[in-house]
Amino acid sequence: MSRIFNLGLPVLLGAATFTLNVASDPLPPDLTYRPLPSLPFSAVKETDEAQKPAVTQRQRGLLESRYDLADRPMPGVMMSGGRKAVQEGSRVKLPAGETWSSLAAKTPQEIRDRGLLPQGFLPLPHVKQAAGGQVFPESEIREIGADEGRDLRRFDVDFDLPDHLTPEFPPPIFLTTHPELGDVSRGDLLTIRNFYEYMNGIITPVQMEGLRLLLTPFPQEEFNQTEDRKVAMQSTGVACLDCHSNFHTNGAFHLTPDVRPQAERFRLDTTSLRGLFNQQIHGSKRSLRSVEDFTEFEQRTAYFNGDHVSATRKGVNLPDRPNQVAMMAQMQNIIDFPPAPKLDPFGRLDPATASALEIKGEQVFMGKGRCGECHVPAQSFMDNNMHDLKLERFYKVGQTFNDQVAIPDGPIKTFTLRGIKDSPPYLHDGRLMTLGDTVEFFNLVLGTKLDQSEKEALVAYLLTL
Amino acid sequence: MRAAIMTVVLAVSPCCALAQIGNPAGLAPDTSMEKPGVPAPHQTNYQDRLFVQLITAGGRAEIEFGRLAAGKTSHEDLREFANRMVDDHNKANEQLKSVADKSKIPLPEGLDPDHKNIRSDLEKLDGAAFELAYLRAQIVDHQRTAQLLAWEIGSGEDAALQRFASEKLPTVLEHLDLARTLHAKLAGQALFAPDTQKAK
Repeated sequence: MSRIFNLGLPVLLGAATFTLNVASDPLPPDLTYRPLPSLPFSAVKETDEAQKPAVTQRQRGLLESRYDLADRPMPGVMMSGGRKAVQEGSRVKLPAGETWSSLAAKTPQEIRDRGLLPQGFLPLPHVKQAAGGQVFPESEIREIGADEGRDLRRFDVDFDLPDHLTPEFPPPIFLTTHPELGDVSRGDLLTIRNFYEYMNGIITPVQMEGLRLLLTPFPQEEFNQTEDRKVAMQSTGVACLDCHSNFHTNGAFHLTPDVRPQAERFRLDTTSLRGLFNQQIHGSKRSLRSVEDFTEFEQRTAYFNGDHVSATRKGVNLPDRPNQVAMMAQMQNIIDFPPAPKLDPFGRLDPATASALEIKGEQVFMGKGRCGECHVPAQSFMDNNMHDLKLERFYKVGQTFNDQVAIPDGPIKTFTLRGIKDSPPYLHDGRLMTLGDTVEFFNLVLGTKLDQSEKEALVAYLLTL
Repeated sequence: MRAAIMTVVLAVSPCCALAQIGNPAGLAPDTSMEKPGVPAPHQTNYQDRLFVQLITAGGRAEIEFGRLAAGKTSHEDLREFANRMVDDHNKANEQLKSVADKSKIPLPEGLDPDHKNIRSDLEKLDGAAFELAYLRAQIVDHQRTAQLLAWEIGSGEDAALQRFASEKLPTVLEHLDLARTLHAKLAGQALFAPDTQKAK
C-alpha cells in the first residue's frame, strides 16, 4: 500500500503539474461570450448599410458558383397548398469534367485530395457569417409588416435564396385533431392579429393560449431594443412563428447555437413543425428531449444563440413551465403532416394507387439506397437518432468560404421526410436546393452507386411522401 | 464581362478569393474607411492585436519544442513531425511578421510564461514519457491555434491578418490530425506492448 503510494503520488503530481500548466493557456475573453459593440448604434448601422451591396454580391457570387439557381418547376407537381411548384433536377454544380456517376465511382480520399467535391455539398455560409442571426424572407417581412406593423427587415443583410427555391407561402395548416377539415389556414398567415378569429372553435382554450404565446414577439439577438441589434427601429422582437410560418417553415435561416467560435457556426435552415408529435429529439444538434424543453429553452437564449448572457441583457422571456410552456407544446403537438394519400398506415406505398416508378423508388429507398435505415416509414420517416455522415472524408476541413470556416458537421438529427416536397432547401443548413440534389448527395456520401433510373424513381417516391 | 471575370476568379480559387466582411459592431472606434463600409488596409481592432500576440507566441513555442523533440526522440515519425513543425511555423511566423509590421503591431519577445512552463516540464522528461508529453502539448496547442484562427476570421478587422488566418487554418488542422494520429500510435504502443499484456 505504502509502496503504491510512494510510487503513485509523484507520478500523479507530475501529471497534475503538466495538466495545470496546459490548462492555464491564455485565450481571448470573447471566444465564447459575445462582445459588446465597440461603436454607437448609428455608426454600426451606417457601416452595415454601406457594406450591404458588397455582402449581397459576395453571397450571390458564392451561390451562383455552387448552384444553378434557375426557376425550373417540375411539370404538374405543386407543394401541398398548391401555391408553389416543386423544382426539378439537381442544381448543385459539378466540378469541370465530372459527371455524377464518374464522381460516385471515385473514393472519398481521391475526391478530397483532388478537390472534386461539388462545392454545393459543403456547409452553406450565412449571408453575413460574422454577424449571423435570423434572416427572414421578403414574403414574411411584408406580411408581418402589413398585419402587425412590426419590422423584420435587417439593415445589414437581405435573404439570399431566390423565392422559387423556398417553401410556399403562406403554407397550409393541417391539424391532427381535425383531419376531416384539411387546410385550416384560410390561405393566410397566422399572426397575433388574426389567430383567434381563424382558430376559434377548432382548438381548445389551452391550445389557443399556446398559439397566442407562439405568435407573441419577444426580444431576440438581432431584433431588440439595445444598440446591439440589426433592425433600424427599436424592436419588440420576433415570434416563434415568424420563422415557422403557419407551423411549417418559410426558409428563414440563422446560425446554430451549438458551436463557437462564430466563424465555425453552421447555418440553420428553419425546420417544419409538422409531425412534431412523433419527434423524440429536438434541434439538429442539441438533442433536447421534449418539445417543452425546446420551447422553454429557446426563449431563454433569445432564440438559438446558445447565449443566455446576451439574451438576459436584451430582455429575456421566461415562460412558466406548467402554465405556458405546456400550452405552447400542446398547440405544436397537434400540427399534422400534409396528407399523403398513397401511403398506408405503416407509411408504405399502397400498390393500388402508386405508380410503377414510385414503387420502384420505394424499393430503392428501402434497399440499395439505404434511406429507410434511418428514415423509417413506420416512424414518420425518422429514427429519433442523430447520425454522422462524415462528409469530411470528401474535403479538406478548415477552408474558409465567405467568412465561414467549414468544419465537420458531426452527428445531426434525422429529420422526417413526410411532406418533404414542401420544405426546400434541404439538409440542416439548406445547402441542397432540390430533392434531386439530396439524392445525388446521399448517393455519393453513402456510396450506394445508384444508376440514373434508380435516382429518378427515388425522386418520384419522395414526392409521394 | 465583369460577371465573366468574377466567375473565373471563383472557379480558380473558391476559397479565400473574396474579402472578409466583418460585423462593424466590432471595428476599432478610430477606423478610417477606404470607401463607405470598407476599412482602409492595415487598421486593427483589439482582436487583431491580441491574435498577433498569441499566435506569434504559439508559433515560437512550436519551433522551440520541435527542435527539442527532434533532438530527443529516436522515433522516426515523430522526428519527421517535429521537423515539419519547425519548418512550417518558421515560415508562418515570418509571414505573420510581415503582415504585423505593415499594421504596426509590435510582436512579443521570447516565450510566454505558459509555454515556458511546458518547456521546463518537457525538459525533465525522456524517452516515451517525453514523446507522449510533447504530443499532448502539441495537440492542445494546435486546438488552441485553430480556435484563435477561426476567432480572427470572425472577429478581426485587418483583412490581411484575416487572410493569413484563413490560409493557415487548414494546415493547422492537418497538424492537429497528425499529432492526434501519432499520439494514438505511440500511446497504443505504450499501453499494449507485449510485456504489459503479459503482466495483466
